[in-house]
Amino acid sequence: MKHVFFSFAWLLCLTVSAQNTSIGLGEKLTYTASYNMSGLMTDIAQVTMETGQVKTSKATLLHLKCTAATYSKWDNFFKIRDLYESFVSPTSLTPYLYKRDINEGSYYKFMQYTYSHKSNTVNSLMRKKDGRGKIYDKTSTVKIQGGTKDIVSTIYHIRNLELSKALPGEVKSFRVIFDNKEMIINVTYLSKETLNTALGKKECYKLALSLKNNSVLKGSINDNLLYLTADANKIPVLAKFKIAVGNGELKLTSATGLKN
Amino acid sequence: MRRVFIILGIIVAVLALILSATPLSQLAFVPAVIALLLGFVAFYLSKQQQRPRKTIQLIFLLTLMSFILSTYKTIFHTSEIGDLEEFETKTEASMEDSKDILEDLDMEELDVDYDDAAMDTLEVEELPE
Repeated sequence: MKHVFFSFAWLLCLTVSAQNTSIGLGEKLTYTASYNMSGLMTDIAQVTMETGQVKTSKATLLHLKCTAATYSKWDNFFKIRDLYESFVSPTSLTPYLYKRDINEGSYYKFMQYTYSHKSNTVNSLMRKKDGRGKIYDKTSTVKIQGGTKDIVSTIYHIRNLELSKALPGEVKSFRVIFDNKEMIINVTYLSKETLNTALGKKECYKLALSLKNNSVLKGSINDNLLYLTADANKIPVLAKFKIAVGNGELKLTSATGLKN
Repeated sequence: MRRVFIILGIIVAVLALILSATPLSQLAFVPAVIALLLGFVAFYLSKQQQRPRKTIQLIFLLTLMSFILSTYKTIFHTSEIGDLEEFETKTEASMEDSKDILEDLDMEELDVDYDDAAMDTLEVEELPE
């Protein structure tokens, strides 16, 4: 599931410096994650992407939350309860706090980043189980490049990208920090396609994803794809991915609280 | 040769039945079809050699059971999310913890604009063949 979610996240990743025009408060997108088993797509989990508001004494931030939970029939075999969160500026979507809480079968991992944008560093906290099942903490400071974002905030950045004027073959590169490492992803705009989605028949932007110096995503340019509705909301309606252990897809099942 | 097909047929049919009883029931169609083919070959050979066909009937019976079970589950079973109570409690606790962390953040840093033009510029490149 880590790979599935990670791949989906990669598939959604882009960055933009413009103002937030696509993401509203209280938005909830629900997906079904399917995995190809011997040629048959099998539904394994529900993935949700939600937005909310967090008020502190100093500022109001946008709370971006992504969850992944296996369907009940899989819980006895391999239970997944993953939580990804990012607290960002509501206008520029710049991240300030990121949390990742992974529970997959007996595997547990927690990552937390607090950004220090002035010094271009991230204070990282990792919480894991050791060989005896005892939980331990590890803190570190990671140097990042200006504009490096976490996986969740970059998911939402894509929807503010100006794609209406993009030409087929245009490539965009950006940096993401994941597991205390910076990675570069290339996103290629391929074309427009009309898809049957949960929202009806929609014209979509078709994007291809690839990673620089990382082999998580496998296959050719047509194996890791992301489709965004070609409207003001730019909703990710379908993502296809190919990883080392197979291929799968995420399909939108419902969308509520849209901004436009 | 007939015996080989019968043994293989039974093994694959049992596998199909086991799979059909698990969440991997959709996968059961693959061994079920293979078991069916093995059963037909064994049946044909038995007919040619005028040998008993009782065991072959077992292959067909097991295959039929796996087909029925898998088809039923495919049509009538809907995917539902399991118990999320613990997960939601954890999410709420995480939110409270996040608020405390955010309170300690240097808010002067908020809304820092980056000059990341180098990363944001769309470049025209040739698509790979």
